[in-house]
Amino acid sequence: MERLTFDLAGALAVLFAFVMVAQKHPVKSVLSLVVSFFGLAVCYVMLSAPFIAVIQVIVYAGAILVLFLFVLMLLNVPQETREKDPRPIQRWLGSTAIIVFAVVFVGVLARSGADIPPHAPFDRTAAADIPALARRFFSDYLFAFEAVSVLLLAAVVGAFLLAQKEKKP
Amino acid sequence: MIGGVPLFDVLMVSAALFLAGLSGALLRRTAIAIFLAVEVMMNAANLALIGYGAALGTYEGQVLVFFVIAIAAAEAAVGLAVFVSLFRHTETIDVNKINLLKW
Repeated sequence: MERLTFDLAGALAVLFAFVMVAQKHPVKSVLSLVVSFFGLAVCYVMLSAPFIAVIQVIVYAGAILVLFLFVLMLLNVPQETREKDPRPIQRWLGSTAIIVFAVVFVGVLARSGADIPPHAPFDRTAAADIPALARRFFSDYLFAFEAVSVLLLAAVVGAFLLAQKEKKP
Repeated sequence: MIGGVPLFDVLMVSAALFLAGLSGALLRRTAIAIFLAVEVMMNAANLALIGYGAALGTYEGQVLVFFVIAIAAAEAAVGLAVFVSLFRHTETIDVNKINLLKW
């Protein structure tokens, strides 16, 4: 049952990720990615990571993709046109790189994880324990946690400065 | 097995997502679409981290994914500000038309 749910949600996420790639209209790209991220959130729940599932929905689908939508609205980006591609070799090289990478990557991943014992001690309820996760953040990873807050502040200031209209001297 | 889900399934979903992101980054020509594709690749890595973390029965995978998401938020804010600034200068965000380092 868990496996079926995971596979269905994963297939949904992958399908809409490919819809994002195939879609020429940027707004539709962003919206299909929202669906994809919701599917991923279901996958995280099935892997007993409910906290990550929630921040996936709130931060990724809620904040980051809405930011993308706002920028698309500001820039009024047109649909991509395919009529006269100035550099067709890019598409050929790109497709070749993707196929080569796909073969190597799936080959490596299919073999990976074999050295993890098949019945590794994993307590489903323990890993879903959000207070225990919070304790990690505020003890072992406290420095990184605080550093991230400074990083986010720097990103906000940087984004503001970059997007500001240049003052005429 | 992670509560009924084999690690193999997790890794295959992650690989497929990564390939979707990679093909988007290599084949799309709008800067924002390329940026979205990079986000998909980051999510594929997140899924693999959660899968391995759960298979090993540790919290470290979730901790790492939390920091990845925080950094992705910062990256998205700065990257989109760069595109807004670029659009002001060149009136386009088609990466084929952005071919000057200085103007």
